[in-house]
Amino acid sequence: MIELKSIRKAYQTGSQSLTVLKGIDCTIEEGELVAIMGSSGSGKSTLLNVLGLLDDFDEGSYVLNGQNMDGLSEKAAARYRSDFLGFVFQSFNLISYKTALENVALPLYYQGVPRKERQARALSFLTKVGLADWAEHLPNQMSGGQKQRVAIARALIANPSVILADEPTGALDSVTSDEVMALLKEINSEGITIVVVTHENEIANQCDRIIRLKDGRIEGANA
Amino acid sequence: MMDRDTWLEIFHTVLSNPLRTGLTGLSIALGIFILVVMQGLGAGLETGVKQTFGDDAANLMEVETGNAQLAFRGRKPNRRVELHNADEQAMRSQMDSVPAWSRLVYRWGSTVRYGNEQGSYGLRGVDPDQREIGQVNVTAGRFVSDRDIDQRRKVAVIGGQVLADLFPRGTKPEQAVGSWIQVRGIQFAVVGTFNQTGSRWENRSVYVPFSTAQKLFSNSDVVSRVAIGTGEASIDDTRETTTSLTGWLKDRLVVHPDDAEGVWVDNRNEQAEMYRQIFSGIRLFVWFVGMMTLLAGAMGVANIMAIVVRERTKEIGVRKALGATSGSIVAQIVQEAVFLMLISGCIGLLAGTWLLQGIAPFVEHDFFSNPRVDFRSALLALGVLIFVGVISAIGPAMRAVSIRPVEALRDE
Repeated sequence: MIELKSIRKAYQTGSQSLTVLKGIDCTIEEGELVAIMGSSGSGKSTLLNVLGLLDDFDEGSYVLNGQNMDGLSEKAAARYRSDFLGFVFQSFNLISYKTALENVALPLYYQGVPRKERQARALSFLTKVGLADWAEHLPNQMSGGQKQRVAIARALIANPSVILADEPTGALDSVTSDEVMALLKEINSEGITIVVVTHENEIANQCDRIIRLKDGRIEGANA
Repeated sequence: MMDRDTWLEIFHTVLSNPLRTGLTGLSIALGIFILVVMQGLGAGLETGVKQTFGDDAANLMEVETGNAQLAFRGRKPNRRVELHNADEQAMRSQMDSVPAWSRLVYRWGSTVRYGNEQGSYGLRGVDPDQREIGQVNVTAGRFVSDRDIDQRRKVAVIGGQVLADLFPRGTKPEQAVGSWIQVRGIQFAVVGTFNQTGSRWENRSVYVPFSTAQKLFSNSDVVSRVAIGTGEASIDDTRETTTSLTGWLKDRLVVHPDDAEGVWVDNRNEQAEMYRQIFSGIRLFVWFVGMMTLLAGAMGVANIMAIVVRERTKEIGVRKALGATSGSIVAQIVQEAVFLMLISGCIGLLAGTWLLQGIAPFVEHDFFSNPRVDFRSALLALGVLIFVGVISAIGPAMRAVSIRPVEALRDE
C-alpha cells in the first residue's frame, strides 16, 4: 500500500539547511495498523506530511496504492488526497460554523457529489461512529471524543485506502482515547490501512507494528 | 457552484463580524450613492440647460446690433447701431452661399386675440428658413413660405401654448388652421401650428412673414437680427466666417474695430461646443470622484477579505487536506467579496435613485430639470462594482491559495 525508499527532506531556514528526514525506507502493507513514534524533532510530523501528500520531499521515491507520488503538482496531490487519503487531526479541525453532518459531508462537496447524496452518506457514517443523533449539532456543542468521532467519520466518507491520524488522542482523556482507538481498530478490521502518529506508548501498543523515528531515521530494524 | 454550501460560507463570513462588514458595506454603498446622486444632478443640470438654450439648432450664427461704445470716424460714442435692409442685402451678397438664412424682427408682448380670448405673446417676423434654423416642429398646416414673404401676406403660425390659451379646450392643431386671429389689432389667418417639446417660452410665440411684420409693426426697414445656418461647416470654418463677417459689418456700419457692443456675430457652434466641453468635463469629474470613492470602498473590502483569510488560515488548510483545490478556494473568496460589493452597491444605488426621484419634483428650474439615473450608468456602476470586487479579492485569495495544508496539521 505504501512504499517509501530513501526519502530525504530538508527545510531551508535562512542560509542553513536542516535535514529532517535522512533516508526513510519503509513499507506499510494494505490493512495494517501502524504507529509512528518518536520524540519531538524526530521527523514524525514531517513524515506524516509526506505520506499525506501535504508536503513534498527532496529525494527518494514514494509509491502509494501502486502509483508513484514523485513530483506531483499541487492539483494532482489534491486529487490523490481526495481519492486515497483520510485525515484525523489532534485538534479535530472541524469547521466551527458547520453542523456535524455538514462537516462529515465536506470532502464529498469537493468531489462534486450532489447535496442529497452527500447528506445521506454523511448520515450513514455518523451512524457508524454512533453520532446519528448529533448530526445537526455544531462542534462547540460536542465533547472532545464526539468531535474526534465526527472527524473520523469525515476521514472515512470519501472511502479512502489509508487513514493518517496525527496524535488522534492527544487532546482526549484516557477513557475517550480508548473509545477512539477502538473505533480506529474497528475501521482497520474492515481493511483500511491506518497510520497513527503518537507519542503515547499505550496507543502505539494497540497497533500491529511500531515505527520508531530518531533524528530523521528509522530506529532498529523492526520494519 | 452557487449551491447552498456556497451561500452558507458567504453568509458566515459576512455575518461573523457584523460591525466590520457593516462599515465596509457602508463605504461601498456611500461610494455608489455619491456616484449616482452626482451623476443624476449632472444629468439634471444638462437637461435643464439644454431645455432652455438647446431648442435652436447649434449650427448657426446670429448677427445682432447694439449700442456702439467708442467714437469712430467722426461718430459719437454711445449711439444706436442699426442693420437696415440694404445692409442685410449687401451682407448676403458678399457671403458665399449659405445653407439657411433668416431675417428676424421681434415684437415682445404683442397682444393676440381669438374670439373673446386674448393674451400677450412674442411676435417674430421671420423668413421660411427659420423653420430649419430654429428647428421648428410644425404640428399642423405649414410654416411661413417664400410667397408669404413676396406678397406680405397676413398669415401666422402659432405656438402650442397660444393654441391652448386662446382656442376652446380640446381644439386640435388641424382645427385651428384656417381660423382668424388678431395680432396687435390686425387680422391674420392661421396657416399652421408648431410645438417645441424642449422649450419653455418658444411655444408662447407667433411666427409671421418677415416682410409683413416689418411693414406693419416696425415702421422702418430695420432688421433686428439675422440668423445664418452654417450647415455642415466645421467649427474652425465658422470661427473664420465669424471673424471676417464681424470685420465686414463693423466697416460697413462704421463701428470701431475694438467696439464689442456695436455689432456682433454670435457663433452658436462655438457655444454648443463650449457647453459640450463643460458637460463632458462635469461628467468626467463626477465619474472621477465616484470612482475614487469606490476605490476607497474596494480597499476596505480587500482589507476585510485579507483579515478573513488570516483568521481562517487553519480552516483553509483543513479544506485543502480534505480535497479543496486552489480554484475552489479562490472562487470562494472572490464570491464573498463580490457578494459584499453587490449587496452594498445595490443599497447605495437604490438609495441614490430614491433620493433623486424624491427631490425631482421640487427642484425644477430653468437650468435644472429631471435629475435621474439612466439605466446605462446604473449598469456600468454595477459592472464596475463586480470588477472592483474581483480585483479586491484577488490579493487575499492568492494568499489563501499559498497557504500550505501542512500548516493546518500543526497543533501549537
